[in-house]
Amino acid sequence: MLQAEDIHFCIRQRPIVKKASISVNPGEILAVLGPNGAGKSTLFKILAGEISCTRGQVDYNGQNLRALKTQQLASVRAVMPQHSTVSFPFTAREVVELGLPKDSKKNSEKNIREVMELTKVVHLEDRLYQQLSGGEKQRVQLARVLIQIWEKKPFPRYLLLDEPTSSLDISQQHIVLDILKKLKSQNIGVLIVMHDLNLAAHYADRIAIVKDGLIAGVGKVEEVYSEALLSEVFDHPIRLVKDQETQQILVSSNSTFHSDLKISKQAQA
Amino acid sequence: MLSALGIALILIMLLSLSLGAYAIPFSSVLAILGEQFGLSLEGVDRSAANVLLQIRLPRIIIALLIGGGLGIAGAALQGLFRNPLVEPGLIGVSSGSALFAVVFIVLIPGLAGSSNLIQNLGMPLFAFLGGLTHVWAVYQLARTQGRTDTATLILAGVAINALAGALIGLTLFFADDSALRSFTFWSLGDLGASSWSKFPVAISLIGIPSIMLMLEYRNLNALSLGEREAFHMGISVQRVKIKILILSALIVGVGVSLAGMIGFVGLVVPHLIRIGFGANHRLVLPASFLLGAILLNVADLMARTVVSPAELPIGVLTALIGAPFFIYLIFKLNKINS
Repeated sequence: MLQAEDIHFCIRQRPIVKKASISVNPGEILAVLGPNGAGKSTLFKILAGEISCTRGQVDYNGQNLRALKTQQLASVRAVMPQHSTVSFPFTAREVVELGLPKDSKKNSEKNIREVMELTKVVHLEDRLYQQLSGGEKQRVQLARVLIQIWEKKPFPRYLLLDEPTSSLDISQQHIVLDILKKLKSQNIGVLIVMHDLNLAAHYADRIAIVKDGLIAGVGKVEEVYSEALLSEVFDHPIRLVKDQETQQILVSSNSTFHSDLKISKQAQA
Repeated sequence: MLSALGIALILIMLLSLSLGAYAIPFSSVLAILGEQFGLSLEGVDRSAANVLLQIRLPRIIIALLIGGGLGIAGAALQGLFRNPLVEPGLIGVSSGSALFAVVFIVLIPGLAGSSNLIQNLGMPLFAFLGGLTHVWAVYQLARTQGRTDTATLILAGVAINALAGALIGLTLFFADDSALRSFTFWSLGDLGASSWSKFPVAISLIGIPSIMLMLEYRNLNALSLGEREAFHMGISVQRVKIKILILSALIVGVGVSLAGMIGFVGLVVPHLIRIGFGANHRLVLPASFLLGAILLNVADLMARTVVSPAELPIGVLTALIGAPFFIYLIFKLNKINS
């Protein structure tokens, strides 16, 4: 399990994350939602090991993050940033190969094929990464990140994604999230920071909502999604409706008279 | 691919051995070389053998090491800065090295003249320190949030080059020392002083660091995704960066102390290699070494033969090819970015 307990992070005495506790189980998708500036990115960086928290601790499979060497950490968790640029003319396949762990010689060919098939980038392998479309680039990056934790190990692994779908069109978003869904059988726990409440409701097993550096709510979609909480957290009126056909919760954030008023009020202020 | 470059390098070296102010027929070149390997062939001309073994061969081998070193250091620095416009000369490593080398000669004239060891080892190491401080300064100046901004990088390089150039000129102006070679030597490079006595320094302080850089290919590949990404992939980014900076500065610094500043090899070579071989540093690094060695030997051959028996400064030739190439690169990158 990936577990963060009471983590706390300050920048110049100002707390960005305060007393946040969050956990990701292997085989589940945890979506982290919250407005801009809520502390999601900072929380993400702490979990990824990029910055260390001022107080509290993060454990990967019971091992303290601080005690793990960079390389050990990389064998337990992989991280997919929002968008990655590649500075030289690598082909798509070469980019995927960059993700191979140092010690993987034996099954690397098989693993590369598997992740490239899963992320549907096999046909792109000889194309230059720099010339791919946004959706293709994200899928190649996803394959690159996945290969790092693909080889079966006796312990669970984790994949952290920071708004991986934010620049993609709707069908590309679903393609990426469908891929993540298939990771459950791989003993991989997925934490994904995202903005789209509907996509999160559709794909995540559990939701964590961050507001002002605090975890405002965590649990199953039905437990967390309430009109009152979401409206409060996002500072915007939000209505929940049930899809008649699928019985799924749909989030509606259409501008009502109320919110128009609010926007004009904000504009004045 | 690598073997093709290797064969080309051997051919150009043989050609270089044969051509020059004192032409030695190709058959004699092979006979003289064969004799060194224990083959006794008749008709070996003693004076030709002397020119070849004592003058041309060390010069060609030192050109090989310096050119190869500049090529591989350029490739490594471009990878580290994540920027294809980086070049040891443009970003101030070379001029920093030259400045420190000149200062060393001026400050420690007695030492430089007296002991072979200090002269052979002290100046290269001092030049290395100069290159290292300069590349570190530029790196810190040009980097914001893990990336290097091209404009800032080039500007920082221009400023540091101008400063170092002025200080070199000033030092040379005040130093009236016979040990001090001309300003042309430091600013445009010269392989004419190459001899076997410089070989041990060149092979150990350029050759070995070059091999060590080649082994960094995996880290450089990861860094081309970005520093954050490299960390996520399990790379100790800070340690790797320092290692690559030190190795590159060592190679360039020692090269400068042996043959002055030779510009643009480190810019042109990795770029051509990437066009032909792709971006994987596993190939780019050794291939850049080989092509750098080829290019510098070609340039030196031209420098020796075009106005024979006089010589052109080698930096004039590399800049004649390199500067237009640099301008072309800027245009091309602008097009990509817009």
